[in-house]
Amino acid sequence: MLGPFEAFVWLLCTFLEAGVVVCALRTRSFRRYFLLNVYMGLSFLVSVGRYQVLRLYSVDSLEYAYFYFYSDALLTIGLYFALLSLYSLVFDEMKAERYLRLGAFLLLGATAWFSYEIVNQSTHRMLTHFAFELSQNLYFVGLVLTYVLWGAIFKLRESRTRLIQFVLALGIYFSAFAANYALRNLYPNLQPVWHFVTPVLGCILPAAWMFAFLRVPEEARLVPARLAVVPR
Amino acid sequence: MSRKLTVIFLAMLVLVGAMSLKTVVVAHGDGSVIMANGGAPAPPVPWKNGGAPAPPVPWKNGGAPAPPVPWK
Repeated sequence: MLGPFEAFVWLLCTFLEAGVVVCALRTRSFRRYFLLNVYMGLSFLVSVGRYQVLRLYSVDSLEYAYFYFYSDALLTIGLYFALLSLYSLVFDEMKAERYLRLGAFLLLGATAWFSYEIVNQSTHRMLTHFAFELSQNLYFVGLVLTYVLWGAIFKLRESRTRLIQFVLALGIYFSAFAANYALRNLYPNLQPVWHFVTPVLGCILPAAWMFAFLRVPEEARLVPARLAVVPR
Repeated sequence: MSRKLTVIFLAMLVLVGAMSLKTVVVAHGDGSVIMANGGAPAPPVPWKNGGAPAPPVPWKNGGAPAPPVPWK
């Protein structure tokens, strides 16, 4: 049964997801950050769908589990492409679009193949198991790609504030889930606490992206460090 | 051609890095969901032992049945 706090956090998260798309439309940035908005719009629709399934069945039901893991895999693929759209924005001056596309599809294909091989070895040859495995593997690929993008932003001295905010928010989002998972396994006796923390983490990304669309104008620039140590 | 090979190499490097990281993180995990999109409550995983295949027991020497322990 869904408690009042869980219901509130879920509702808040759903509103924030819709808010990102609304703010992007309001600031006329929808097309520029198209895949980010597609991901947020999809998240909103999935939240509504999950609520409908949960209303008919329980959290422990197979129906909810199937819907949850299939939709989660879909959303993780969406997030992967949203992250790659940030890559193409960071590297747009290098005209590396073709190579980025090649790398993106290669990486997605290799991750899918790796996930299939894991499921294929398992005794439970379930499609849902594959969706779960793909989702979790893509999460780690996304985590590594986000850190690589962080590094590229520092190296290239990227100054577009909104773009930096998007990437930093994504990095914090991925890192928070990794930290949460590690702490959950380190302190399993604090299960009631983790039960509340995990859904709250889901609000980080839509809240940060909504803030970026609402408060950070597209023209805003950060001043990169002007002083560098030069050996004499 | 060399650029394409560089892209393939980098993609494989990211995949190896990500899967190594996953192995390190999940090795001590309970097989639960690491990341979930959105704020919906995550259902319990319908399968218990994660995705990895179970290895054979390393200390089973031969197929002969084990004799009963001679002491009480």
